[in-house]
Order: sequence, then C-alpha cells, then structure tokens
Amino acid sequence: MEKQQFDFIGKNFDLKNIGKVTGKEIYSSDVHIPGQLYAVVLRSPFPHAEIKKVDYSEAEKMGAICLGPNDVPNILYNERIVSIPEKTYRDRTVLPQDKVRHVGEAIAACAAETEEEAFAALKKIKVEWGKKWPPLINLDEAKEANAPPIYDYVYLGEERVDINNNIACERNVEVGDIAEGFKEADEIVERTFNTQRVYHMQLETKSAVCIPEADGGITVWTTSQGIHNVRILLGNIFNLPLSKVNVKRITIGGSFGSSIQMNSITPICVALALKAKRPVKLVSSREEDIYDHAKYPLRTTLKIGAKRNGILTAAHCRVWVEIGGHNIQAYPYLGCVAGWFASLYKWKKLKYEGTAVYTNKVPTCALQGYGNPQINFAVECLMDILAEKLDIDPLELRLKNYVGKGDEFWGQGPTVRSIIRSCGVEEMLIKGSKLVGWEKRTLPSKKRGEIRKGLGVARGFHTSGTGGPNLGEVIDYSSATIKINEDGSVDVLTALMDVGGGTWDAGAKVVAEVLKVPYDKVGIYNGVDTRSTGYDVNTHATRGVYCGCGAIKFVAEKVKEILLGYAATLFKDLPDNLELAYNDELGQAIIYPKGLPENYKTVDEIAKTAQIKSWGTMAYTGSLRQKNCPPCFITHFVEVEVNTKTGEIKIPRAVIMGDSGTIINPDLWEGQIIGAFSRGLGFGLLEETKYSSITGNLECNGMITDLKIPSSVEMPKIDSLTVQSAHTYEPTGPFGAKGIGEAALSSVASAIANAVYNAIGIRFYELPITPEKVLKALEEKEERSEKIAD
Amino acid sequence: MKKLEIEFTINNQKRRLSVKPNDLLINIIRNDLFLTGSKYGCGIGECGACTVLLNGEPVLSCLALAATVDGKEITTIEGLAKGNELHPMQIAFLKNAAVQCGFCTPSMILTATALLKENPNPTEDEIRDYMRGNICRCTGYIQIVKAIEECASGRKTS
Amino acid sequence: MQTNTKILASEFEYFAPHTLEEALDLLAKYQDKKAKILAGGTDLLVKMKTTNLKLDFLINIKNIPELNFVTWDDGLKIGAVTSLSQVEKSEEVRTRYLALSEAIKAMAAPAIRNMGSIAGNLCNASPAADTAPPLMIYGAEVKLVSKRGERQVAVEDFLIGPGKTVISSDELLIQIDIPALDKNTGSSFLKISRVKADLSKINIAVYLKREDKVCRDCKIVFGAVAERPIRAKGAENMLINQPLTPALLTKVAQRSAEEIRPINDVRSTAEYRSKVAKVLTEEAVKLAWERAGGELKI
Repeated sequence: MEKQQFDFIGKNFDLKNIGKVTGKEIYSSDVHIPGQLYAVVLRSPFPHAEIKKVDYSEAEKMGAICLGPNDVPNILYNERIVSIPEKTYRDRTVLPQDKVRHVGEAIAACAAETEEEAFAALKKIKVEWGKKWPPLINLDEAKEANAPPIYDYVYLGEERVDINNNIACERNVEVGDIAEGFKEADEIVERTFNTQRVYHMQLETKSAVCIPEADGGITVWTTSQGIHNVRILLGNIFNLPLSKVNVKRITIGGSFGSSIQMNSITPICVALALKAKRPVKLVSSREEDIYDHAKYPLRTTLKIGAKRNGILTAAHCRVWVEIGGHNIQAYPYLGCVAGWFASLYKWKKLKYEGTAVYTNKVPTCALQGYGNPQINFAVECLMDILAEKLDIDPLELRLKNYVGKGDEFWGQGPTVRSIIRSCGVEEMLIKGSKLVGWEKRTLPSKKRGEIRKGLGVARGFHTSGTGGPNLGEVIDYSSATIKINEDGSVDVLTALMDVGGGTWDAGAKVVAEVLKVPYDKVGIYNGVDTRSTGYDVNTHATRGVYCGCGAIKFVAEKVKEILLGYAATLFKDLPDNLELAYNDELGQAIIYPKGLPENYKTVDEIAKTAQIKSWGTMAYTGSLRQKNCPPCFITHFVEVEVNTKTGEIKIPRAVIMGDSGTIINPDLWEGQIIGAFSRGLGFGLLEETKYSSITGNLECNGMITDLKIPSSVEMPKIDSLTVQSAHTYEPTGPFGAKGIGEAALSSVASAIANAVYNAIGIRFYELPITPEKVLKALEEKEERSEKIAD
Repeated sequence: MKKLEIEFTINNQKRRLSVKPNDLLINIIRNDLFLTGSKYGCGIGECGACTVLLNGEPVLSCLALAATVDGKEITTIEGLAKGNELHPMQIAFLKNAAVQCGFCTPSMILTATALLKENPNPTEDEIRDYMRGNICRCTGYIQIVKAIEECASGRKTS
Repeated sequence: MQTNTKILASEFEYFAPHTLEEALDLLAKYQDKKAKILAGGTDLLVKMKTTNLKLDFLINIKNIPELNFVTWDDGLKIGAVTSLSQVEKSEEVRTRYLALSEAIKAMAAPAIRNMGSIAGNLCNASPAADTAPPLMIYGAEVKLVSKRGERQVAVEDFLIGPGKTVISSDELLIQIDIPALDKNTGSSFLKISRVKADLSKINIAVYLKREDKVCRDCKIVFGAVAERPIRAKGAENMLINQPLTPALLTKVAQRSAEEIRPINDVRSTAEYRSKVAKVLTEEAVKLAWERAGGELKI
C-alpha cells in the first residue's frame, strides 16, 4: 500500500454544487424549448390484454398530435444495451403492437400546447380491447404449465427464442462437485430467503425533451445514465445515422439504476416530436413512474456446508426472480447474482442455478446493486446461522472464509475473472468490531425488557465496473477529450454521468492532479453531448471513478505529454528533463527544468504562447477499457432496538467501514455510504410495492402516500453513525481508487436482519421486516415456548 | 373557464399574471415564470420537492392554486441569494456535502431557513422533525442535518 | 382511471369572497351545483387530482379574516381557516389541550400544517384524521352556518363515515369550540405510523379527570380503526369512578381493543391494529393520568 501526497485528490472543494443550491441547475424536466408541446401517455388499466385498435380521432379533433401503435417503428429492442448483442434479449417496442403486459404499460400518447389540453385529449382516446387474461402476479403461478403465456417468443441477439412457461432466461454455474463438498462438511445449513420489489423513488421522474431538427435529426435531453446508449437506440429505432442524433448530457435527479436503460418515455417523446415537427416535452407523473420500473425481487434457496473449524466446503445456490412484463436484461442479472454470491466467500465447490420468470408486473431493473443486496441478504444471514450452529463467532467465521487479496474473484459473473489486489476486509471487520463494541454483545436468550437491543454484522462488496482481463459479455469502456485552453484552463469533455455521487468532481480532481492545473480551472460540468464526446457505456456498476475517471486519467496523461512537448520547445530541452508541478503559492501549474525550480514557466504562459505562435491546441481524445473490476468492500455493524410491544424497529447506532482504495472525494464518499444506509434501512424494514392479484394494480395505486421511504427522523443520529475507511491502495485504479456506490448498499439490510435476530432471537427470512411481521413472530414464538413449557 | 388576474411579489419582484382557476402554483412558477428551482416530485404533497415560501412560510406549491397567491409574497430558491452573495444556508449545504443529485436541495434549503426563523437554536431532533416532510433519496439526511446545525450555530456566533 | 398529478385537470369557476356573508350567499346559490369549499387545499386538491371528484364551483374562504382566529373565551374558539400550525402555536392549545397539540405536531409536515386547517381535517372526514380524536375527547363542537341559520354539532356527531359528515351543501363550518377543562384533568395523544410524516395506522386520544386516586371521568377515542373515529365506551365505563391501578389498566386496555373494528389495508393489518390498541391504551391512559397529577407505578 503506497501512501501518496496529493495536491487535489482527497480534498473537498465546496463550490462544486453551486447550481444545485441556487436553483440554477437544469434537469431534463426543467428544459424549456420555446414552442414546445407537452406530452402525456395513455397507460393500460389492464395487466394482460390484447390491443385490437387504438382510435385517437377524437383527440386529434381537439388539436392534439397523437401516437398509436401504427405511428411508431416496429423495431424490437432492449432498452439496456450494456451487454453485447448476442447476449441481449429483446422483447420491447416503443409502443406495444399486440398486447399490454402490465398495468401502467404505455399504449398511446399525445401532445398539445398545454399539459391540460394534452391530458383532456388523452382521455378521448378509445382503445378497443380483445382478450383479457387474469394477472400473473406470483412467480410460482407464472411458471405453471397452464399459465397464460406473456410472450410466445422473444429475440436473443438475432435468434428467435421460444418462451415456455413464461421463463425469460436461465443461468447455471458450477465449480467442482458440490456433492463431494457437502460430504466433507461437518455442518450443513439450508434456508430460503425472499427479498421484495421496491421502487427506486428517485426524486426526478423520468422525462425527455426532443427537438426535431431541420435535417431530420433529433436533439434530446433525457434522464439517462448513459447518453451514448440512448443515442444508439434512438438511431436504431428511428433509422437515423448517429451523426444526426444528439443526446445532451444533463444533470439527473437521482437514478439508482433506473436510467441505465433508456427510459420507456424517451422514444415516445421522440416519436411525438418527429410527428408534430415541433419540440415535445414529456415529464412522467410520479404515478406513471412508479409503474415504469422497480427493483428485482429475489427468492434464494441457499445451502452451505463447513467443517467444524468453520472452513467452508460447499454451497448450492438456487435463485428465482420474477421480472415483470419486460426483460430489461435479466440474463446478465442472473450472472451478476452468481458473482455476488460466489465471490463473497471461498465456497470451494459451488453450484448456482438461476431462473428469471415473466409476470404481469412492472418491469424490474437494477437498483443500486443489480442483485447484490438481494443475494447478500441470503448469504450473510445464513453465515450467521452457520456460525451459531458451529458455535463460532460470526466475525471469525467471516475472517476465515472471505475472498480477499490474492484470491480469484468473479464478482461480475463467471465470464469476468480477475485477481484481487487490494483488500481491507480484515481491517474493517476487526476495527469496526472494536468501534461498535462487538465483544459486549449478548445472546438473544439473555435479553430482557420490553425494548430489546441487538447487534448484527454483515459484509459486502461490489465490483468497480465490469471489466476483466478478457473480453466478456459486457461492453465496458469510457472515453474522454481533454484540452488545455489558451489561458491554461482545461476543458474535459466526457459523457460520464454524475448521478449525485460526485463522479464529475472526481474527474476534475484527477485531471487537476495529472496536469497540476488548479481544480477550479478544470471545466467538467455540463455542456457536452454525444456529438462532442467519445463513447461511454454508462455510469453504472460502480464504474464512475474506477473506469470513467480511469479513462480521464489516461487521456490526461496523454495531454501532459503534449504539454511537456510544447514546454520542451520553449525551454529548448527534452520533455524528460522537465518537471510539471502545482505551485501552492502561485496557485498555478508550473513547468521547470528538473533541479531548477526557479526557472519555471506557468502552464498559462505556455498555453498562451502556443496559441500566439500557432502551434496548435494541446488536446487528446482517447478511450480506456479497464481490464479489472476490483472489489470495493463494505462492512456494516448495526444496532437495532426492537419494541416487543409494538414490533417497531429503530436503528440507534451503526458503524460502517468502507474500502475504496484512495478516496478521491472524502465528503461525497461518506455521503454515498450514509445515503445507501437510508436506502438499505428502507429495503430492510419499510418498503415494498405490493400488487392486487385480482386487478394487477399496485396496492398503492401509484401514490407515494403508501410507498413511504425513510425520512430524516428514521435515520440514526449524527453522532451515532460512524463511517470510516480502510487503508488500502488499488494499483490498477486512478491514483489507487476503487468505487463505493453499490457496495455501500449491499449489506445494510443483512446487518439489520442479523441484529434483529440478536435482539429477539427470531430470524426473518423475508424483507421488509415490518412491525406487523415482528409482532406476529413474537406471538408465535411465545405460543411455541408455552407449548414447550406445557 | 374565465381567466383571473393576479398580482403578487416573487423574489422581491412584482408580477402580474393571467391565470386559469385550475392553474397550480408550481406550474406557473416553473412554466410561466421559468423559475425551475422548485420541482415536481409527486404532485400530492408527500415529498416536499415543490416547497416555496408563501409570506415567509413553507407551503407545497403542487397543492396550491395560483389564484390563491393574489396579493401575497413568494420566495423560491432563486430568491434566496442576494446577488452573488449566497445565503448562509446555501453555503452550509455546500460545505457539508449535503447535496448529491440536488433535486430535493432547493426545498430542503427553503424549509431549513424557515425552521431557523421559527427556532434559531434547534436541537438535532427538532431539525429532523421539522424536515420530515422533505424526502431525500440520495443523502440519507445526516449531512443535511449537519448543514442546518452549522448554519444555526453560525448565526449564533455572528 | 388514469390520473395526472402534475396538473389539476378539473375545470371550475373560482370565487374568493372576503366576508362570511358573501361565502354563504355563494353556497346558497350553488348548493345543488357541485360546489366545494377551499381552505388549505391539502386534502381537496389531492382528491381532485387522484379521484374522479368533479366540481364546478370552488369557493376559497382563506381570505375571510373573520374566520381566522384562535381566542380564549371560557373555552377555546378556533376559526375555520386558521392554519394547523397557527393552532399548534397557540399558548392555550399548548398548555390546556395537550392531546390536540400533540396530534397536530404529529401530523404530516410543517408545510402541510401551514396550509391545512382543523376545519378541513374534519370536513375531509378521514377515519384516520388525527385532530378528530382529541377534539372528541374534549367534547368539542363545530358551528355550522348557512343562510338558513346556524347550529352547533358535537364533533362526535359531525363525523358519520369515511368522507362523510352531517354538513349540508349550503352550510359552512365556521368555528370549532372546545370547552374549558376542569382542574385535575389530563389528556394525551399517540399514534403509530410507518414513518413519522404519515397517516396513522392507529391513533388514540385519552382524557381523564382525576380525584385523588379515582378516575371521575374519562374519554377514550381511537382513529383509523373503524369507519370513523370511535369512542371505546366500554373501556371508559370500566374506568369511571374507579381507582386507577395497573391491574385495572390492563383490563381497560383489553376491553378497548375489543371495541374497535380495524381492517386490513395497505397500511397495516387488523390483527396488528388490535394488538397495539391495547399497548396504546395503556400508554395513553398512563400519560393522561400523570398529566392530571396522578401516579401510576407499573
């Protein structure tokens, strides 16, 4: 581990978010184009029904521009094109051509001068329905032989694939012979775990604005984590060369994975704009947004075995996921879930089987983890159960078996394998346990009183990106263009998105660190688009810093070479004999002959000279594919307080240890961890999108009145939340950095569940752990012990 | 529907608008006055993202008819800073990393300034309680509460 | 039905009278013509956006100064459009009517309380309304006025079902009267919800009058566990004229839980509500008793 002194990395610069505190930051839903029409979308009231005809003549008479199934290109696509085409399932069109497959699916749309007029026209659209089927809500009923098929066939790449029993896709992985492994085990435990659907509740609803250009092209602002993929999809769907499709990079109001894919409203907006030949703005209502995307649920049956001394010998993991009415890439999801499971501990021999099933529900997609928190819940709870069986401390069991430095690791799935080079797991477990007072932990049987406290631990990780030594199923590279301006300031043009975690801030610091130009002279914030940037696959998979800023660093180093070349001309020397440094006193970047700092020239000077002498712009455009996706680790120690009279669970205290290598943005790094804790709290104790099995409607009806997420009151108090970093350095990352985003969420709910067990001696195998479930379980436990007493 | 003439002051500027009875305050602020700092988050008063100050008090503009602000004073986030001089609350939010995606930030800041007007030295619990109607999905609130505490104590010493 | 919460799709004619007389004239004129009163709008606008509630005339009474007051006159009188936060800030409410103070503080969020009114909360008549149980335990009354005259109705009788009150389409609720309380009385309000700013899964308000160790009078009202807030009269009768002991409290709590009619809904289950009703009764009665100057060692 190398300790470096940085000029900019690891420091906090305050003014980066000034647009956001003054109301000047523009999001997609804020874009206003003079003359724009406002669009609204007609959505299905039925969960599974044939569309015979869409008649919008009445709406058109009111002056609205309307869109029906016949007005959109009949191109089948998958809105998430992160995987290579051969591994991409396609089942979606801009508007459904044959039938709707979930309540809330878009059927038609219209645009008018005002939103009120558009909505009034929308109500006049008549849909003629054909056959209607009862909704398939439950995973088990959906895969029964006599269940109405949601799809007859879909496409995988260019191949047509028949869909049987609503099974969308499957994935199996085996390492060694688990039968042998279980034979070696002295203790075997097996349980089934269930995690629920949750809604992202990103504050900005999915929106798009599209200008149809005079040359037949389009300019688009939309909620996106990857503008280039939106561009490619729109070009493909609307048959436009990408040189005529420009997608603007624009700040997004939260995402958590819901805009990795192109959102369903984006091509609808584009289609309306092309038809109307006028700009169109489409902002989803919250209720539409709730019917648009949700987190993958997961049912896991997990069986693990270990020797008496705690060393694991085998694991068998069987998962089921119901994915709703569309497949937004469940196949790589199943691969990633295998990876999150396989790379948490050294199972020695393992078997993984994963099946994804279509249902008539909101299509599911990544929510900060892409299956990680779901499978982590199963593994981390079962490890605690095993520890109890073996009479080994849960910390010790984890220390004995975790996948760490030097081990082979395939967090992103079986096709992406690499060796771990930095790991703070041990440090975090040991230090964290001391901070939280783990040794003072008492057994559930020793707890007394109405309010019971419990302490639980869980650990997790996430990959920093999706790269690997060999090309796999996933496209993963970022590009950057960096140029030194005529006054020495720097432009950084990157399609990398910042969804709130400080990715742009990190990028600016990386450039500042390489070029020694002060942070506030590095321009990375808004103003770019697909036209002015090289391809960036997406800001997802916790790749913003490791991959995105890795590419930025690579390009910055190239610009540095050019800069030194120009400087060499001025100094009449060789570039290798020159030093580039940041001068604190001057507050500027300077270059001087090695050993002679007093003979410096400022970079500003050199840039000006280059312009005056017509030498050319110092700039470089390049891309980088990271050949690694090193794990960033997390450990959660959580204290819960269970009110045994009301079942309510509070979280008075938590200690969170994170390992991200070099931390580029300390304040935002902590913010990611704390924010993820609030989302994990919601996932563990509070949130669920429930369905009516009769109508296929959401029980909450799309209203967040009944989709509560944690507020300021539910979090632990400031002094009760300790966040600390391990001391590691990732040699393959920009300045030693890895990611943190999705790691931060992975083990929150697991730690809470383990803490609840420690408090009241009851295991919950299903999330969320609501007061209703707690009271019921406490009552049942009492009845059981009374029976035993009898 | 007959249009109504309303006159009000917004961010210290007098404005006169012609509005329909069913125009919502959030929409005339965002679409007619082009002040997009106040956000649509849910439309039903559950998230707080549309918060503006009406005669100095936080209200939810998604549930207010434009017609009802006739004769009143509105402050949106755009009206908080004095020229280039940021309001202490804005500075505190920046300094404490209380801003991630930023979508809830305008409403958080406005609500927090109202809190400190009412209660200049709130305890941490009082801050959390007051802010409970403003939801944030990104930050987990801790840094927001810290920012508000810092702003409150800053006022105490100044 | 498809909704669009970004806008208010409903079209209507809007009035903003400045006097009570004007308002009553309008109500009389449009009483059979789908007219509604607008005070804070926090319930009405949500209903208009999310249900098929249609109205043709909207009468904004927020600009009527004679409806905006909190005064003490041997009892508390609250004007219909007084905001919830104004009511909560009133010294009289904070010192004399703790259950009401606590209920308002526990409602929603500051912005909603700045806009909403007690009158609105009552007229909306949600079975889970938080201000209703405290008003009922204090024996509060509402004054209903129309061109035809005026009448006082106890809050308990005013609310008759989910979204239903006894108000006529030409009447306006102009005032809420809460009688002065005797010495040695205490009250409390508790609620359970998913998060802090939330509708109640169940709420309770308790009022007690104490004489030494004996409970002379008592009111126990639950919300969100029937079609309207209900009195647990059986539990009340068990307490009245009895010395309050832990053993009696347990029995009273058991009884009160039997008097409610909770349902399963999106917020919670009937089973859960019944169970915690007992817990809440014990806690709320104990708190009210202590506030009445009593002691109860559990």
